[in-house]
Amino acid sequence: MRQRTLIGVVTIAALIALWFLATTVLELVSPGRFPSPPDTIAALWHVMLGGYGGGTLIEHVYFSLRLVALGFIVAIVTGVPLGLLMGWSRRAEALINPIFLIIRPIPPLAWIPLAILWLGLGDGAKILVIWFAAFVPSVINSYAGVRNIDRPTLEAAAMLGMPRFRFVTEVLLPGASPMIFTGLRLSLQASWTTLVAAELVGAFYGLGRVLNVAQQDLYPGMILVGMIAVAILGWGTTRLLGLVETRALAWNQAALAAKG
Amino acid sequence: MGRISFDDVGRVFGPSNKGVVALQDINLGVEDREFVAIVGPSGCGKTTCLRLVAGFDFPSSGTVSVDGKTVRSPGPERAVVFQQFALFPWKTVYDNIEIGLRNQGVAREQRRERIGAILDLMGLQSYAESFPHQLSGGMQQRVAIARAYVLDPDVLLMDEPFGALDAQTRVVMQEELVRLARKNPRTVLFITHAVEEAVYLADRVAIMTRAPGRIKEIMDVASVRKAENWDSYERIEEVMDLESFVHMRTHIWRSLREEKAAQPAE
Ligand SMILES: Nc1ncnc2c1ncn2[C@@H]1O[C@H](COP(=O)(O)OP(=O)(O)OP(=O)(O)O)[C@@H](O)[C@H]1O
Ligand SMILES: [Mg+2]
Repeated sequence: MRQRTLIGVVTIAALIALWFLATTVLELVSPGRFPSPPDTIAALWHVMLGGYGGGTLIEHVYFSLRLVALGFIVAIVTGVPLGLLMGWSRRAEALINPIFLIIRPIPPLAWIPLAILWLGLGDGAKILVIWFAAFVPSVINSYAGVRNIDRPTLEAAAMLGMPRFRFVTEVLLPGASPMIFTGLRLSLQASWTTLVAAELVGAFYGLGRVLNVAQQDLYPGMILVGMIAVAILGWGTTRLLGLVETRALAWNQAALAAKG
Repeated sequence: MGRISFDDVGRVFGPSNKGVVALQDINLGVEDREFVAIVGPSGCGKTTCLRLVAGFDFPSSGTVSVDGKTVRSPGPERAVVFQQFALFPWKTVYDNIEIGLRNQGVAREQRRERIGAILDLMGLQSYAESFPHQLSGGMQQRVAIARAYVLDPDVLLMDEPFGALDAQTRVVMQEELVRLARKNPRTVLFITHAVEEAVYLADRVAIMTRAPGRIKEIMDVASVRKAENWDSYERIEEVMDLESFVHMRTHIWRSLREEKAAQPAE
């Protein structure tokens, strides 16, 4: 494990060195196409201290993070229960599945124009689009999670006389939780993708807005700063979700390890 | 309380005119606190019989009743021990055993007492806070038996409960079950492939025909056990050496072999 970390660090250091070499030292890539490290750091200072595209870096980060969190939470709060319901009740599945079959082939990003038309350039449109994108993986994986619970487990619950609410919270939910978390991870990724896209198209703040303005200003250093910021936030939030998952599924991790 | 009764029970899977006939004309009564084992060739419908009593499945004809009431749904008064244990992997041993009592509305203090007693009885005291996957197969099946016994059920239904265990563990569990059943007798319907297990544990052994399953004959082991005083022996291998045991076992073996021989080649 430590050796792997070390190799990872070395790889990243080598990449940065190569970047420095190709841009600043050898000037193989023109600074108008890809920024050099000093350009990037200058752009970083610029947006952090002076502000750019309508705000400082912290403000943009706060804005994007807040929208992702809101959209993601709305999506899972609606998506997970719906998936559980569809997994449990054949009638609910029969009712809802056709709607899914129609909506699923539409890429979530294709909803952006309509969302902006309805709700303007503010928060509402973006939350709506994130909801569309993040909802589907939550539903599908929660559904599959319930379907994956094996029959004897369900029969044991029935034999033990489980009341309905307790059955949902103590059997259905934990039984489906490994798949639910898979869904949450996909939902989170979808949230970031859609948020950045939505902000690129139209926004007053946010990292997508920074990227959009920097592109119009022909400012490669700032574009790279925006990209790196999105990457770090995406990585960080995924990591956070991973920590929650490890705690919630402690029984499952160990069960998997025990199986070999 | 806990009289099981199969009356002219039939079960057909699939469309009634050309479905698979799993059970036909099953008539069997299990008395209160009697231990009945069912043996029969693979696929003859043993599991189906047990599922009908559990309320997981329903007969196509005839009725299955417990204490005169037709079985309509699963319930804790008919506790099931599954072959693959079917414990909740996300709950500790204690919580697995406790959940049935919580469902029955037993107060916390009483739950603690009853679970403590059953953990002691099954030799599980030091595993209360373990998760199922941290235990061996034999230990997991003890938990499953404890989970069923703690409900104080009228009827215990066991479908090859020791089928997934290795030979040594199996013997230990058989002795343990006899000990438990003596201390706290229940009506038991027990399914097994192992003839010796059936003869060692049961009061009566029902032998089934190959599919479509019927009851071929019912052996009365209890009277032989009493007459030959099997219960005076501590260990299973001592009982298994007795002439009366061997005689009973061989008879059942022959009966089963006839069924297998009659099976059409596939
Ligand atoms: N849900 C079902 N749908 C269709 N056929 C079924 C179903 N359950 C059982 N059967 C059929 O009924 C017959 C009896 O099955 P059952 O599982 O009761 O046999 P068994 O005696 O328990 O066999 P084994 O010794 O292998 O456990 C088999 O032919 C089986 O394929
Ligand atoms: Mg079976």
